[in-house]
Amino acid sequence: MPRRRVFNPLTELLAAALLVVLVLVVNTWQFSLAVLVVAVLPGVLLSGKPRQITLAIAVTAGPLLISSFFLHGLFFPEGTTVLAEWGPARVTAEGLQFAALTGLRLAVFTGVLLTAALTVSIPELVSTLTHRRWNRRLVFVLGSAVGLLPHVAERARQITRAQQARGLVVGGSISARVRGLLMVSVPLVTGLLIDAAERTQLLEARGFSSPGPRTNYLPDTDTAGQRTARWLMAAGVLAFGCAWYAVGAGR
Amino acid sequence: MIRLECSTFAYDGGPVVLSGVDLAVEPGGLVHVVGPSGSGKTTLARLLAGQTGAGSGAQFRGALTLGGDRLGFTGGPADPRIDPAAWSSTVAYAAQRTEGQLSMMSATVAEEIAFGPANRGMPTGELRAAVQATAARLGLTDVLNRDPRRLSGGQLRRTIIAAAVVGNPRVLILDEPFQGLDAGSRAEVARTLEVLRAAGTALVICAPMLPGSVAPHSRVLALAGGRPVFDGTFAQARTAGLERYAIGTEGSAPDLRRAPAAPAVPPRRQVQAGTPLAELSGVSFSYRGENSRRQEKVLRGVDLRVDPGDIVGLTGVNGSGKSTLLQHLNGLLRASSGTVTVAGQPLGRRTAVGRLAGAVGYLFQDTDQQLFERTVLREVAYGPAAAGAGRETAQERARTALAAVGLGHTAGEHPYELGFVERRLVAFASLIASGPAVWVLDEPTAGLDQRGRNRVGDLLLDHAAAGGAVVLATHDGAFADALCTRILELKDGRIFSGGARRGAGGA
Repeated sequence: MPRRRVFNPLTELLAAALLVVLVLVVNTWQFSLAVLVVAVLPGVLLSGKPRQITLAIAVTAGPLLISSFFLHGLFFPEGTTVLAEWGPARVTAEGLQFAALTGLRLAVFTGVLLTAALTVSIPELVSTLTHRRWNRRLVFVLGSAVGLLPHVAERARQITRAQQARGLVVGGSISARVRGLLMVSVPLVTGLLIDAAERTQLLEARGFSSPGPRTNYLPDTDTAGQRTARWLMAAGVLAFGCAWYAVGAGR
Repeated sequence: MIRLECSTFAYDGGPVVLSGVDLAVEPGGLVHVVGPSGSGKTTLARLLAGQTGAGSGAQFRGALTLGGDRLGFTGGPADPRIDPAAWSSTVAYAAQRTEGQLSMMSATVAEEIAFGPANRGMPTGELRAAVQATAARLGLTDVLNRDPRRLSGGQLRRTIIAAAVVGNPRVLILDEPFQGLDAGSRAEVARTLEVLRAAGTALVICAPMLPGSVAPHSRVLALAGGRPVFDGTFAQARTAGLERYAIGTEGSAPDLRRAPAAPAVPPRRQVQAGTPLAELSGVSFSYRGENSRRQEKVLRGVDLRVDPGDIVGLTGVNGSGKSTLLQHLNGLLRASSGTVTVAGQPLGRRTAVGRLAGAVGYLFQDTDQQLFERTVLREVAYGPAAAGAGRETAQERARTALAAVGLGHTAGEHPYELGFVERRLVAFASLIASGPAVWVLDEPTAGLDQRGRNRVGDLLLDHAAAGGAVVLATHDGAFADALCTRILELKDGRIFSGGARRGAGGA
């Protein structure tokens, strides 16, 4: 079941972005950990698709986390407390601490942004942006995510099936897999370009380039209260950031 | 109301594809434009839709009149440019392929229908009322909140028509609106069109064959080789001998070169020596959906035995599980329970689909999803090459297969440059080139003109006579009646009427 929506998507996305800014400004492992535990974890668990989001976070942040630990854990020039040493590689307490800090920060970034991006209702977002009179090309790019991405995935799957039905054996060695991927991508891109040419005509015929304001079938779910809240949140984070740096500079 | 005078039309630097046409349609009028593949139907439809190709190098000499305004074209750079948005508010157009017709920006049918007027700034309240009124008129109210990409063929076609007519255009142009639809969905779409026509919309319907039955006052314009060969009433068209232009009538039997072999004598439970070419035994199947608790069985304990010489026809409404059943025969889908045997070998969970391609060839319903190479020859040679034949051998087999479907001359062309019927036959040739004993065909005649349909019929009979077997899913009852040794009806995931045979329904 998808989660029940409380706020307008624009409010949700702004809140996620501001949380990332706060983590950057404060830049301590305690704060990053607190955000991870208090905001990201419940967010993922209540999202309605925790498995999908966890997988997305693992795929995005996993390799970066691992490489960060190897890089900073083994080679940290400023490190003085040596825990172990193999030739040029030194494991230092400072290096591990730095790796933990950057790793935690990275986990918060990907966690917050991916949870927001994967749970936001794109049709509602597009509707809000249209009602707010945002640039229609930008709205189109966002709106295409509704149909185009699943469409591309489905088409790639169909092409693979057609190739398998004609004798392509998927799997086996890495080179066979890479070859299989290339075999799919050429017809996929050609097909999408042909589709795009047809769709351009259709979009033109359906008034996509018409001058003047547009409307949307979905009603405007944004409220004056939420608009005020967005301005206040942004102003609050800005003020907090300035104060934080001022106090830090004074210390 | 609308009139097209086309002296000549040619795409960028190409030969003339349409000439000598003068077509006028009045409010509430209905014109069927019929003609075989390559006769210029789609070009005519696009011209009426205002797509004169001025920006893409096409040359149109003639005129378009809408209401009282006449636009003259001389094929030169000074020709008028038609604003597609303004034109489409009066003349709506639904193209042949449904896939390219969705805006891809809408999560629901309602949003898809609303897309055009929303772009023109219709206030949200008015927009919702217009969408609901159109949906009610076209019987789409129940699916307004559904994802447009998850609709049945008939629902999708009606959604596209609804999106085209929501702004109340005075003219509606449709290119093959009935392609791939079962009888029920065809009737739905036909009813929709009649509602619009009765309300005064002028209709132009393009199709490869004459319709089986039509509204009394409709007209027929027949095209062949880009020129009109007949213009008159439907009754006159039926006796005008249009067969000589390869224009058949829907629902008529194919004209076959080879006489169908006599049907197998014991119709049911035939006991035969030897191994069947393919066999399904007690096969059940359900799709693993997003909500795994609500799985609905698509197939329920299906038994099917395919022996050499068999041509088995599968019928049933859209969504009855025909494609699902067919895809079990080449391993694209694996049975939830029951067994599938191909060439004497039971299919395991780990049998790669690619390894079965030499035994079972599959023709998908959607042609364009199965063409993926740069030239027709490479496309057709893909199967034999994947099976390990050398390059020369693979190309030789590809050439033979292309000659069999009558497309030997297209070897060097890009598949996408061919017309729909040729692309369909290229897909067919790529199946033949791998030399499988069992041909599994999903709607092999959908969208074909009379010539293509006859050719496919001959190929099937030749294959069965040579000891191969065919299993085909089809809505083309006359074709199945003429060719199939058995016709099975799939309903609610079960096989019914297991005994019907060739001649039983048609004679």
